[in-house]
Amino acid sequence: MSMRPTSSRVVLASLKPSTDIPRPSRTLGRGGLAWRALSPFTIVLLVILVAVAITAAQEEERTAVEPAVARKAATLILARCAVCHTTDLISQQRLPRDRWTATVEKMVHWGADLSKDEAALLVQYLSARNHPGAPDQLPSIENELAMAQPAREQGVATDGPLTGVAAKGAGLYAHNCQACHGEGAAGGAGPKLARNRILKNEGAFWETVLHGRGPMPAWGAVLSHQEIADIHAWLASR
Amino acid sequence: MTVSRRAWLKTLLQGIGVGLVVGPRFPTVDAAYGSEGSLGTGPLTVRVTRPFDAETPVREFTSWLTPNERFFVRSHFGPPAAETVQSDAWRLTVKGLVKEGLSVSLKDLQQFEAVTLTAVLQCSGNGRAHHRPKVPGVQWERGAVGNAQWTGVRLRDVLQQAGVKPQGLHVQFQGADRPVLATVPLFTRSIPLAKALHPDTLLAYEMNGRPLPLLHGAPLRVITPGWMAESCMKWLTEITVRADETPGYYMQQAYRIPETAVQPTSGLPGSAMVPVEQMLVKSLIAAPAEGDTVRKGPVTIQGVAWAGDVAVTQVEVSCDDGRTWEPARFVGEEQPYAWRQWQYIWNAKSVGPTAILCRATDARGERQPVTSPWNPGGFLWSGWDRLTVTVAA
Ligand code: HEC
Ligand code: HEC
Repeated sequence: MSMRPTSSRVVLASLKPSTDIPRPSRTLGRGGLAWRALSPFTIVLLVILVAVAITAAQEEERTAVEPAVARKAATLILARCAVCHTTDLISQQRLPRDRWTATVEKMVHWGADLSKDEAALLVQYLSARNHPGAPDQLPSIENELAMAQPAREQGVATDGPLTGVAAKGAGLYAHNCQACHGEGAAGGAGPKLARNRILKNEGAFWETVLHGRGPMPAWGAVLSHQEIADIHAWLASR
Repeated sequence: MTVSRRAWLKTLLQGIGVGLVVGPRFPTVDAAYGSEGSLGTGPLTVRVTRPFDAETPVREFTSWLTPNERFFVRSHFGPPAAETVQSDAWRLTVKGLVKEGLSVSLKDLQQFEAVTLTAVLQCSGNGRAHHRPKVPGVQWERGAVGNAQWTGVRLRDVLQQAGVKPQGLHVQFQGADRPVLATVPLFTRSIPLAKALHPDTLLAYEMNGRPLPLLHGAPLRVITPGWMAESCMKWLTEITVRADETPGYYMQQAYRIPETAVQPTSGLPGSAMVPVEQMLVKSLIAAPAEGDTVRKGPVTIQGVAWAGDVAVTQVEVSCDDGRTWEPARFVGEEQPYAWRQWQYIWNAKSVGPTAILCRATDARGERQPVTSPWNPGGFLWSGWDRLTVTVAA
């Protein structure tokens, strides 16, 4: 995968398929089998295969995804999908839009916490990125997100002090954080946040929540600073 | 049901006439994930990091038994906490349509006669990545299979002790593993009573002579020799005898294939769906490996072949992209349910890249097709195995 971490635009160009037609070398293996080594039978089959691939690919909606949309979608995947399984299970699929719609619906049915709009956004992103004609190897969603992050987010809490509203934070927490940090912020796949010392260290709190850390997703592209402050206020009130 | 499934395959293969040659995809895409880690699994190709799904690189299949730490791992939710399945508190419960419910410890269970057998365990999705159009699911290539020696007690003996009531026709298994969120359906499966009462169906506590490892179902798992691995429940804690097949996603939707041929569509299959059960005849080339360079002259090609509960009768190899086929020679042990090792000495003459293929035939007369019939779950891939090597002067 040729990916230069220069700008988010480069990353997005790579999200689009570079070609509609699977190269024979990919179909037949890394050995880069020469065409003359193929039996006529195989060549006929290959032609069929290519035709099938083209038809499948043409069914795809090739609408490019805006960088901001892609960033938001990738962040949502880390935050809402990676609760139950890692993103590699998602990234290895190559599916047409209708299968993505069905898959995301199934996940929501099973408990993925997504609004209708968020689900639609994910389907749009995944069917542009992981369609049947996409290259065999794609960067991980984590890497893609890291590269798509704008050089510098707005400085951490430099926009002046925000006053969080604990009452609003409760709902935001339940929707975005609870799956990992547990009910009442008592801990789960992620650490206990109620009475966590990090709540007193606002710099570290904002750094972790905006930019993520290890398996902890980055929220900078999903939540507004006001919303994060609301969550902080609610956590601090626990 | 078995008969109709065979018929389905036959019809479809005749209907296809030509198939698509889709070689295995290469190489170990996920090397980046680095599977050697806390799990102590050795060099597996990781497909999913959590829950852990990883396949065995086919070069391991030059050995008769697949070592425990090299054995493929398929998890729906990952193993339960070690304490819950390894402590003295662990019990196996037998309930439902039985005369007398049981709750037994591993020691109690080991009072029944111990049985050891060697059997292939294979994930139904093994080879899913080769289906076209592509289907959703873990994109297994060739190595979600292995051959191991299983020691345990007969499920039949346990069921006889509990006494199956006449209405009891299916035996349901539940393991101790649980999804992260309770909204996800549990992995619950059932097998028909006849398979449960088969003297070779085991509740196994040892794998290759060692206590069952956590990733493989400690302390107890089901082994249904000849059947695909979704019947081989890991971390077994509950057996329920019932009148009907288990309801729920993992029995009624997942692990089903169309009874009759279906067109590759992404919509509904347009056919009754029946549970995946028996293995199909299948073979793999373990050496040389994809992309290897071999010397002109004699080259040893070796691999394995299996056919579930019948014997493999022939393995053929083609070193000219399927134009001509030569029989391979069986080597090593022959045991029911286990795989058969084979060898073929190829006299490599022309320099350059060459495709090597293999295909097996079983005692029922079934022979591996060039590609398997498409099905929406991408199950039971058993197309010819294929790789390319380069012959150097
Ligand atoms: C509540 C838990 C949960 C959440 C949240 C979740 N998934 Fe899944 N997902 C599962 C389970 C369970 C499976 C099936 C695992 C198995 O049987 O191997 C699965 C399987 C998949 C598969 C493989 C195809 C299939 O149908 O089995 C894809 C692709 C997938 N999920 C995508 C997503 C996406 C995209 C999201 C976010 C919108 C998501 N998942 C969120 C539980 C979840
Ligand atoms: C997908 C699971 C997941 C979600 C969703 C999630 N987190 Fe986390 N979070 C984690 C994990 C795992 C860690 C521990 C990271 C590490 O290992 O360093 C963590 C760490 C943190 C920490 C640092 C705690 C400490 O003790 O250092 C904070 C603060 C935090 N999360 C806040 C949030 C907030 C606020 C939300 C919702 C907006 C949220 N998290 C959503 C998984 C998650």
